[in-house]
Amino acid sequence: MLASDVHFPKDLVEALEILRRPGILIFAGGTDILREQGGRGLSLPAEVLCVQGIPDLRRAGLTERFLEIGAAVTLTEMLELGDAALPPLLAEAARGIGTPAVRNLATLGGNIAARRRYMDCWPALACLDALAELRDRGGSTWMNVNRLMGGDGKPAFPEGALITRVRVPIERWDVYVLRKVGPRDYPAPETAVFAFVARAEKGILEDVRIAFAGEIALRSQALESSMIGRSLPLSSREAASIAEGYRALAASLPEGLALQFGALVEGALDLLSR
Amino acid sequence: MTVSFILNGEDVSAQARSVDRLSDLLREAFGLLGLRSDCRGGRCGRCLIFLDNRLVPSCIVPAFSVRGKEVVTIEGFAQTEDYRDIAEGFKTAGVETCGFCDEAKIMAMAGLLERSPRPSPREILEHMSAAPCRCTDPEAIVKAAQAVVERRAKRIYRRAGQ
Repeated sequence: MLASDVHFPKDLVEALEILRRPGILIFAGGTDILREQGGRGLSLPAEVLCVQGIPDLRRAGLTERFLEIGAAVTLTEMLELGDAALPPLLAEAARGIGTPAVRNLATLGGNIAARRRYMDCWPALACLDALAELRDRGGSTWMNVNRLMGGDGKPAFPEGALITRVRVPIERWDVYVLRKVGPRDYPAPETAVFAFVARAEKGILEDVRIAFAGEIALRSQALESSMIGRSLPLSSREAASIAEGYRALAASLPEGLALQFGALVEGALDLLSR
Repeated sequence: MTVSFILNGEDVSAQARSVDRLSDLLREAFGLLGLRSDCRGGRCGRCLIFLDNRLVPSCIVPAFSVRGKEVVTIEGFAQTEDYRDIAEGFKTAGVETCGFCDEAKIMAMAGLLERSPRPSPREILEHMSAAPCRCTDPEAIVKAAQAVVERRAKRIYRRAGQ
């Protein structure tokens, strides 16, 4: 067990300078890192960048078009923004994470930047087409959260990047579903989150999104596009055909998760068939 | 490294290694044995503390991260009137436990009332999940929380009237 050098930058400029060092660990809430380690001493890399005290990462603000949340805002602080500001899908995802005491430590940025697996906020943010600002020595990039998924469906958060802000578009959704499957207290291989949103205008399905993520993520914009523009309610034949498409998409999941995903998709489509 | 912070109202400093958990530092450097470092995964609630006024499991907080912050343990909280309200409220509601997780339940209840002075039964049960207990009926926990709220409201009301 080796001691690490811990850096406490005062601002983003200083943090990005320190971030150049190879192999450095970015530390904010630390819940994902520390809950994995059951031993007495912690195992951390040689250098740690503690970003908790950077004011730019701790802000949240609401405009007419989007909600912007700093990456080091805790899940509790995010929930305290209230129902008027926070999309219910994201609020429900955050409420399903750990205990209230764990949510006082865990940050939104940490929930998105996890590399081992997708954490609970990811499917909600993916469904809401949220953007994450990633910064590194080269500058700043706004990236759709969906693009943090690799070709194999596994998390693909870029190495050497610091997530600084998350921008969630403010949109009207007529129905939403958020369900967590598998063990609840801490993500296990069989834990995953299902998120669904849909909006209709004059009886026509105007937008619909479905995301599912655990160790790998599923989202098909092709299947979503095939639903958009259909008249509501969906016929049972239409719903069965769409559900079949999603079952095929879930072929890469372990059998138990694939079955649960299939049932959740059917339940969501049922909401569009009434 | 030297970590300086406020502990139970006093400025303190301690030598900590980057590998140290806060729960271990508090027990070993400061002799605060009211918290325990049992699960080391933030699940059992026996290491709950207030960190900058927020309830957190100190076993998943690295000691280095409390630099410049304020920590209150059960020993510090036990000096407050809020503690007495909770302890008496538990007694009034007949919540008797095996003693294994008393401190955890008191800290979890304090954390709840800090954020929600009149919590609903659902809020109570959700929040008390931070201190899971196998020997207390959830209904009794709800009654205890309500007794604490009553007791605290009376105390504050009496003080306002003085």
